[in-house]
Amino acid sequence: MAEIKATKRLDITGDCCPITFVKTKLALEEMQPGEILEVLLTEGEPLSNVSRSLKAEGHKILQVKKIGANIYSLIVARGEEQ
Amino acid sequence: MALDFHELKKGGFIKQQGRDLFLMRLRAIGGHLTSRDLENIARIAAKYGRGEVHLTTRQGVEIPGVRLEQYQELIAEVKALNLLPGACGPRVRSIVACPGKEICPNGVIDTRAIAGELDRAFFGRDIPVKFKMAVAGCYNACTKPMENDVGLQGVVYPELVAGRCSLCGLCQSICPGGAIKIMNDRVSMDRKKCHGDGACIASCPNNAWVTATTGFVVYVGGKMGRNPQLGYKMFEFVPENDVVPLINSIIVVYEEKRKGQERLADVIRRLGPEVFRELIPYSGREEVAAGGGN
Ligand code: SF4
Ligand code: SF4
Repeated sequence: MAEIKATKRLDITGDCCPITFVKTKLALEEMQPGEILEVLLTEGEPLSNVSRSLKAEGHKILQVKKIGANIYSLIVARGEEQ
Repeated sequence: MALDFHELKKGGFIKQQGRDLFLMRLRAIGGHLTSRDLENIARIAAKYGRGEVHLTTRQGVEIPGVRLEQYQELIAEVKALNLLPGACGPRVRSIVACPGKEICPNGVIDTRAIAGELDRAFFGRDIPVKFKMAVAGCYNACTKPMENDVGLQGVVYPELVAGRCSLCGLCQSICPGGAIKIMNDRVSMDRKKCHGDGACIASCPNNAWVTATTGFVVYVGGKMGRNPQLGYKMFEFVPENDVVPLINSIIVVYEEKRKGQERLADVIRRLGPEVFRELIPYSGREEVAAGGGN
């Protein structure tokens, strides 16, 4: 799949729930609909919980890549305003 | 006021430490109480008890410090306020449940609905020993269904609408059983590895994973206390409509086979879980076991 360029990058690999999603949500709120955010997070709970919450709040994951031993990159398109 | 032994026998009014002192046990079906219930409980705890409550391990509320002579008045007030007395002794005890999908992002079933159904069908039924049931809304099993005589754990089995998939890679990365693999731009699933926890359905950004079927894993014969025993995963997949008749059959077979004060766990240990399973007239949907689906 083609590389998608993110306009902003957020590293939450050092955070745990609920800070992980709260930081992601706040970062997305500062962006425009359709703008791309890259989120770096660890596998397991952060990956599954943040992904689920992103969908629930109307944002869209475009790509998921494993970029380290237990680190993933999520490419997220910011959703429309609710 | 004369003591109503019929009412007293249903349970919930329990002798506590101290001369002439009893406690009133209330139940909260699946742990749900409204603000109104809480206000009413606070009021009766101050009026009949000593202004405090104790929360039980089975999501009940106990009001200590009540005197026997206050029982009639208290139970009348409990009923008038639509509060629900709890159970004690050899009966089906209150139904424990987690918040389920209504509240918990992991939840795959509506635990409030099924807990209500179980309460209506079974709560307070007189059987030879105590009998406990718990409902968990997903594979995480927070309410410990396997520690109960009968425990339900919600499962959802997914199916793929391949045309919607954008190959983002998410489901493969979050599937807890490692059941989903993406190879050569194709998503595939090994149903035998599926835990039925619905992570793919809840997270797929394109709604490519959809619900094929929901139901329950049913654990049978668990108990804690002095001789703990985890329940057997006796039924891999039971649709919601089959749950009440199935539990009913389990209780009937238990009552036929038990000796003396045996709990369900003891009967199953004595007979063996396979033999006990054979005695239950439930043909089941074993073909969808472990994610069998279609
Ligand atoms: S069992 Fe599942 S649905 Fe219920 S509280 Fe735990 S995680 Fe949530
Ligand atoms: S999460 Fe959905 S869109 Fe992404 S690979 Fe899986 S099925 Fe396809």
